[in-house]
Amino acid sequence: MTDIPALAVEDIVSGYGGGPVLDGVSVSAPPGTITAVLGANGAGKTTLLRTISGFVRPRRGRVLVGGADLARRRPEDIARAGVAHVPEGQGVITELTVEENLRLGSLVTRDRARRAAALDDAYRRFPVLAERRRRAAATLSGGERQILVIARALMSGPRVLLLDEPSLGLAPRVVAQVMDLIRQLRDEAGLTVLLVEQNARSALGIADTGLVLNLGKVVAKDNAATLAADVGLRRHYLGF
Amino acid sequence: MQEFLEFTLGGIATGMIYAAIALSLVLIWRGTRVLNYSQGGMAMFTTYVAYVVIRHTGNYWLGFVLALAAGLVLGAVCERTVVRPTEGKAPLNSVIVTIGLLILIEGVAGIIYGGQYRSFPAAYSVTGLKIGNVSLGISPNDVFTAAAVLAAAGALALVFRYTAVGLRLRATAFNSGVARLLGVRIGRVLTLGWALAGLFGALAGVLVTPTTFLYPNSMDAIFVLGFTAAVIGGLDSPVGAVIGGVLLGLVLSYAGGYLGSQLVLIYGLVVLALVLMIRPSGLFSAATTRRV
Repeated sequence: MTDIPALAVEDIVSGYGGGPVLDGVSVSAPPGTITAVLGANGAGKTTLLRTISGFVRPRRGRVLVGGADLARRRPEDIARAGVAHVPEGQGVITELTVEENLRLGSLVTRDRARRAAALDDAYRRFPVLAERRRRAAATLSGGERQILVIARALMSGPRVLLLDEPSLGLAPRVVAQVMDLIRQLRDEAGLTVLLVEQNARSALGIADTGLVLNLGKVVAKDNAATLAADVGLRRHYLGF
Repeated sequence: MQEFLEFTLGGIATGMIYAAIALSLVLIWRGTRVLNYSQGGMAMFTTYVAYVVIRHTGNYWLGFVLALAAGLVLGAVCERTVVRPTEGKAPLNSVIVTIGLLILIEGVAGIIYGGQYRSFPAAYSVTGLKIGNVSLGISPNDVFTAAAVLAAAGALALVFRYTAVGLRLRATAFNSGVARLLGVRIGRVLTLGWALAGLFGALAGVLVTPTTFLYPNSMDAIFVLGFTAAVIGGLDSPVGAVIGGVLLGLVLSYAGGYLGSQLVLIYGLVVLALVLMIRPSGLFSAATTRRV
């Protein structure tokens, strides 16, 4: 792992006014890996993703994507630089159709042929979306919506994918499918994934490395198997 | 029966003007949750642009097109300079700013053009159409008015539905946070929304002014009626804006025709009050609550 990291967060201090939610957090994700970000509610996991994608401005630190510092840039510019953020919960635009949601994800690409190819790819990979392409996204089930937001995030051909609680509210069988999908995206598309999860067991099952946040600081950082085997860590922070 | 036909057709024709104003308000409201109180003033000003061009060149259509172009530019410039700083602040800020903008525009128009009433030409004849001996209550110019607004609204619908720009506009209106996550530069999208609103306002201005005369406050009453139409339609819905405009045009035409035409603006305010009391979210809005 001597490559330049696809995503490097360096010594970030960030928050919403008041005390910092993240206090000196660093993460380094080599290309083509899944990094699980774990920790209890309020540990700062979502804030970490929102800081990387530009919705929260860090007070200190750098966010390097392919070597370029994107910290303090606007969210739309960070997205255009190849960072796709799938937010927790309702990221689907319910008033638009399935296909419009997908097309929206590809608009950063100027080339029409590449947009069309991305749409074909999405339908090939996710036949369930092809079946429902003309329907309002509001009619999709929770699992289908999660697939749609991930598929939409892929439409721009991102280098880095930020996933916030993709398993939230899904049935266990669907969680397994979503985790399989994330693993496939790494293995087949070489995507670099930062995966925020409450469901630590599932996340560590597919991740290469992991880190545990507590009260805004990194309390553990290791490869996924080692973290999963650490009984003390599991009992204190991971809940399994 | 004869009267009813006249009132109906006349109501539809005037209603299309309310629809154009309503569309301009909806275009801005959807994207920014700002109610643009200066919309009427902007439309008045662009009509002066048409007035000056027509006087100097004698070419109505050149004035018409330049007024629409001026509407696009004025809308974009107002958004970039005056409205942008209120973004993300308390809603009252944008209310005060757009009311201030209205006063500014009307003041500047008064300084440049004076306060006197000027007659403004119509595109086509304003003498009533007849089929055989039956008067229709509308003129060729009324037909042009309705057709122009319908064509513009239809073009807007096509842009919304089938173009990348339209998809960006809708996505930003529905969920600007998600749109930004997907790389939509919402600053540009909002400017474009204001520019389009300026265009529809300018269209309403040149279409209505032949019947009202042109002066710095000439669009004030039309603005209130256009706002009423937008509220009927739910403020969120472009289709609702057009239908709201036509419904209001019909109601006011019947009321003016059967009850007396001196109080049309009052009838409009009564309709506005009734809609806000009975169905404040409008007829076509998905939203259940509204903060105005």
